[in-house]
Amino acid sequence: MKNIVYLIVLITHVIFGQNGFEKGNALYQKGNYKQAITAYESVLAANQHSADLYFNLGNCYYKLNKVAPAIYNYEKALLLNPDDSEIENNLAFAQKLQIDEIKVLPKVGFSKLIHDFTSVLHYNTWAWISVGLSSLFLLFFIGYYFSQFTSHKRVFFIGMILILVLLFMATTTSIAAKKSYETEKPAVVFAEITEVKSEPQQSSSTAFMLHEGTKVFVLETLNNWKKIQLTDGTEGWIDSNAIKELK
Amino acid sequence: MKKYLIILLFGFQGLWAQVQFEARVSKNALALNERLRIDFTMNIDGDNFIQPNFEGFKIIAGPSQQVSQSWINGRSSFEKTYSYFLLPTQKGTIIIKQATIEYNGQIYKTNPIKISVTAAVEQPKDPNDTQVSADDTIYLVADISKTNPYINEPITVVYKLYFSYNIGITNWRELNKPKYNDFWSQNIDIKQLVAEEGMFKGEKYRYVVLRKTVLYPQKTGKLEIEPLSLDIDLQLPTNRRNIFGQVVLTQGNKRVSAGSKTISVKSLPEAGKPQNFSGAVGKFDFKVIPSKTNLKNGESLDLSVSVTGSGNMKLFTLPKPIVPNSLEMYDPVHTEKVNTSLAGMKGKIADSYAIIPQYKGNYPIKPMQFSYFDLGSGRYKTISSPEIMINVLEGPMANDTAVAEESASTKNKISTSEQFKFIKLKTALESIKKQDFFGSNGFYGLLLFPFLALPLLVLFKKKKAAIDGDVAGNKMKTNNRLAKKYLSEAKKQIGNKDSFYVALEKAMHNFLKAKLNIETSEMSKTNIQELLESRNANPKTVTDFINLTENCELARYALISSSTIQQDFDQAVLIISDLEKQIT
Repeated sequence: MKNIVYLIVLITHVIFGQNGFEKGNALYQKGNYKQAITAYESVLAANQHSADLYFNLGNCYYKLNKVAPAIYNYEKALLLNPDDSEIENNLAFAQKLQIDEIKVLPKVGFSKLIHDFTSVLHYNTWAWISVGLSSLFLLFFIGYYFSQFTSHKRVFFIGMILILVLLFMATTTSIAAKKSYETEKPAVVFAEITEVKSEPQQSSSTAFMLHEGTKVFVLETLNNWKKIQLTDGTEGWIDSNAIKELK
Repeated sequence: MKKYLIILLFGFQGLWAQVQFEARVSKNALALNERLRIDFTMNIDGDNFIQPNFEGFKIIAGPSQQVSQSWINGRSSFEKTYSYFLLPTQKGTIIIKQATIEYNGQIYKTNPIKISVTAAVEQPKDPNDTQVSADDTIYLVADISKTNPYINEPITVVYKLYFSYNIGITNWRELNKPKYNDFWSQNIDIKQLVAEEGMFKGEKYRYVVLRKTVLYPQKTGKLEIEPLSLDIDLQLPTNRRNIFGQVVLTQGNKRVSAGSKTISVKSLPEAGKPQNFSGAVGKFDFKVIPSKTNLKNGESLDLSVSVTGSGNMKLFTLPKPIVPNSLEMYDPVHTEKVNTSLAGMKGKIADSYAIIPQYKGNYPIKPMQFSYFDLGSGRYKTISSPEIMINVLEGPMANDTAVAEESASTKNKISTSEQFKFIKLKTALESIKKQDFFGSNGFYGLLLFPFLALPLLVLFKKKKAAIDGDVAGNKMKTNNRLAKKYLSEAKKQIGNKDSFYVALEKAMHNFLKAKLNIETSEMSKTNIQELLESRNANPKTVTDFINLTENCELARYALISSSTIQQDFDQAVLIISDLEKQIT
């Protein structure tokens, strides 16, 4: 009985979420961007999300010339759907409105190779691959153990070893992908203009200024201060109220 | 008689030849402000006069030499005088030392003279002397408009030279130019000195404005304005007149100074001080004007940020516009049109920024704020400019990396990434609080299960081989299984009398086979009874069992109600379960 109630609640949630999404779309088409934002955000309030929802929210904010929320929502959409060309396209539009121009320092060498490989798939996908390989290993073992002919046994044995190696790789990749996902904490500057200090103190000297919409990576947190790194490698301490983290 | 005459003659001769050299002073006691005349007189024409050093006096005139020779009644007299006018420099008794002279190889000296100098005395004024003193006819005054201004509030210092009607000024020189430390100062040029009339100390005076300066204090606290000193050449009238009856003027010289002034500068109030306050004090208007808002790629626009009004125009910075990075903004051209009058600086300062858009699109220029301190109301005021939207109508798109190349063809090329993409219309929503699969118990279970299954598999295979090897056990197992199978079949066939009893019988046979490990051929009643009893079965149950098997055979051919069938089945189940318990 309880389960049925939960199910009904869940289903109504989903339907309600879909309603909010479609209502937002209709309002967006009429040009009522502000109301569209409230409609979309009602979906988020019901603990539902999707890359498309964040993308549409980003579009609304872009139309209202609100740079920081627009970039924030596009980045959030990209987290859920990393290779969507439409999201990347509109993000580029929004980035043209931002004031800071910060170069993106390309990663090089072996670490880039590893990073590229691990980020091909989400770590949960890697986990499923590991599980699949593990089951395949069992099947090969059965084949090896129960087969009557030496030639079959040989094939199955070689297969087993190969699968074991692949399994090890998939699992370590999953661990690495999760670790890099957890250590990388992107955030977007929301304050219109904010000072980045060289030390986490109000009296400390200002290292540089940041404007809204700039993407930063949070490295450390100390009380009300966050150590951030820009895409060009510059580091500094920023007031934690000035930025909003994506994860 | 003749002897006396000679003596007398010699005596006269001696008297005549007597050398006299003496010093005479006009008075032996004098006041400090009086003059003393000293004459050194001799009756010979002496040479090599050496004056005393006149310690304690200042020579104001002299030496003047005077020689006189006279013949009176055939007698000649000769006199030579050196005169000095001296002014005492100190009070007390001063001794004028000896002067020397040489005559015919002989040196003659005067006696030292003692002079007592007393304090200065008031000199009686000559009632006829109308000579005007320079002291109370000329004044230099510094007029300061405000002595406790705010920081950066303009104040003016005007130096006026007042002089009375009866003196003339021929020339003036600045000795000390005033320094305005901690002030921003601007001199207002005075092209021609114009004498004006004004009242000063209750009298009519003429005055000229020598210098006007506007000052903007740059520091709070007590600031000092250093004095201005002038050296002035004057013409003073005397009581003498020349042959034409005109007043004879004498030249005079006077130093005047406008004493130093202290100004206490107030700091601006902290309450309500805007964040972006850059020190502007006065009254201003702030404007941000773009030359155009609709433009094509490659065109530039000028954004003029200007402040007009009065106040410390040159002493603050204009706010800088903040533009998106796709608008390229160059360093501004700064223009100042500021006139400084006694009321302060007035005019316009402007920064003109050249902005060149890089990409097509609409770009906002953020509203800008300019804050100043309004002296009139004593409050801070902030002026905001409106947000300016720049529409770039043509040009490369935001994410075209290459600059748009001019294609020769006139066809309308549709670039895929040309436009801002519309919203997505369909979505699959999912819960935000989705559990990670990686690291969950399910993940570890699924990952490790196959490995845990390996030993089980090996065990299973071993067990199977062992079971395959055990023939008797296998047979027993099969019979047991068959017994169960037929019992369940009997239950199914409960409505069909014939097949029910066949199944029941088979079930019971198979049960026995399984339990007693016997073949069908060995199955006689006595044999069964013996075997069962030897296995500790209850004799009553055994009899029941045998009766039931016999009943099965009979019942197949007899007329039996369905209730009996049910009863038989229940009994069979009861007996089997009892035997199961009893047989060891």
